Amino acid sequence: MDQNAALEIRHVGKSFDIGREQSLQAVSDVSFKAEKNSICVLLGPSGCGKSTILRMIAGLETPSAGDIVIGGRNFDGPGRDRGMVFQAYTSFDWLTVRCNVEFGMKINGVSRKHRRERAAHFIDLVGLGKFADAYPSQLSGGMRQRVAIARTLANDPEVLLMDEPFGALDAETRWLMQELMVEVADKTNTTMVIVTHDLEEAIFLADKIIFLSSHPGRLKEEIVPAFKQGQRIGEKEQAVKMAGYSELEAHLMRLMREEGRGLE
Amino acid sequence: MAQPSSSKSFFRLRKPVSRRQSLISGFAIWLVFFAVWIIASAAGLVNELLVPAPQQVFGTTYELFAERGFSSDVLISISRVLIAFAMATAVALPLGVLMGSFPAIEAISAPFISAWRYLPAPSFIPILLMWFGTGEAPKLALLFIGVIFFLVTLIMDHTKNVREELVETALTLGASRSVVVLKVILPAVLPDIVVALRQMLAMAWTYLVIAEIVASTTGIGAMMMRARRFLNTDEILAGIIIIGALGMMFDLLFAALHRWAFPYLRKA
Repeated sequence: MDQNAALEIRHVGKSFDIGREQSLQAVSDVSFKAEKNSICVLLGPSGCGKSTILRMIAGLETPSAGDIVIGGRNFDGPGRDRGMVFQAYTSFDWLTVRCNVEFGMKINGVSRKHRRERAAHFIDLVGLGKFADAYPSQLSGGMRQRVAIARTLANDPEVLLMDEPFGALDAETRWLMQELMVEVADKTNTTMVIVTHDLEEAIFLADKIIFLSSHPGRLKEEIVPAFKQGQRIGEKEQAVKMAGYSELEAHLMRLMREEGRGLE
Repeated sequence: MAQPSSSKSFFRLRKPVSRRQSLISGFAIWLVFFAVWIIASAAGLVNELLVPAPQQVFGTTYELFAERGFSSDVLISISRVLIAFAMATAVALPLGVLMGSFPAIEAISAPFISAWRYLPAPSFIPILLMWFGTGEAPKLALLFIGVIFFLVTLIMDHTKNVREELVETALTLGASRSVVVLKVILPAVLPDIVVALRQMLAMAWTYLVIAEIVASTTGIGAMMMRARRFLNTDEILAGIIIIGALGMMFDLLFAALHRWAFPYLRKA
């Protein structure tokens, strides 16, 4: 076990039964590591199995081959050590923002006082301080995703998993949320694995990009955005202007295009 | 706002009407109904014995309550509905939520429960009378049978519609299965369950009247059957009005309960 890795995926494969004794190979022999406190982005065209890999890490699907190790341990099924944020809104509508954020801690037996403090801290961190007593139905889509992020972080997971978390948001909200995630990663030292098909999002967020090819999902290339020189960037427009940004974007576009051709 | 002045602006295709217009329309249709009834009675167009005038029906309704102790019949009917409905809910709610949450439980109970829905509850009346005699039990049993199988199925379907992401979110927050069912699935489905209860309560009133007409000496239905024997059509119509009014009252109570219990469903 690599001491630096929060998460290790080893030769993982997944096939789904599709009836009549046939099966569909969704993921085949994928291996990678997510270093502690890093942002690892799974990128690829649709059908590359990136969401399936994330769901296997979460314990919501079981790998057909290989194994997944988190903090040196194997696991069976979902658990609080791997918190997940979904693309669809998952706020519990019957609870206020505060109670949503406290939910995980409450079911895991965190004391009331400690819960209150931690919830307030993470609600502030995602910029919802004024809305702590609002119900989710009173919030915009971006704000609901902030609630989901605060709720997952407050539960203190070892790895934060995000499945196209900003896919349903409009462009400017998306940028704000991406910048928020960089800020959150810096402030909380959380290991994140983020699934996206958005190149810009991948380049902006990633300390490491895992590019997957489709049908079945295979590891195509592991890319460290060298132009960042090991530093995270806080603003989108700053990133776009940096030397090396457009080369990386062009490279990823080429990879995407190759995959697209394979289908035709 | 200009009122619709021509037929073209009155019959606007799928455009919502103003609150004022819908109030006027709703009131007007009842006005027309009672006007036709009053005129038909006054002009002698209908047999007075079979169709008494509305003012007579309302007079009789008042008289039934004021002078002839009709309220005890009404209370008996209400208590029958409420007791049987509470029993049905006490069984259907946990069972329906469990069936909607655990496919294994659904696989056992759904084939059994769905089949019962095709057996008309009133067809059980003769056997219920033989099993339970003539007391309250057969009436409660009929209402219970009439409601429970639909209620279980409705609650199960609503429970299955709770979005998978909510369940998976709870699991990745570390929730156990019982926590998922009690703290996520149940609160998520509760507003829909209250709607289902509201619909089924209307059905319970239907079975109540059947039970009381067929086999009872007390209650609103029994009063109506007694009135028939003495050709008191005004009392029969009064009974119908009371049943309708009670049904509407309970429906409004459920709607109020829904608004009160689930304030978070209101948009800001």
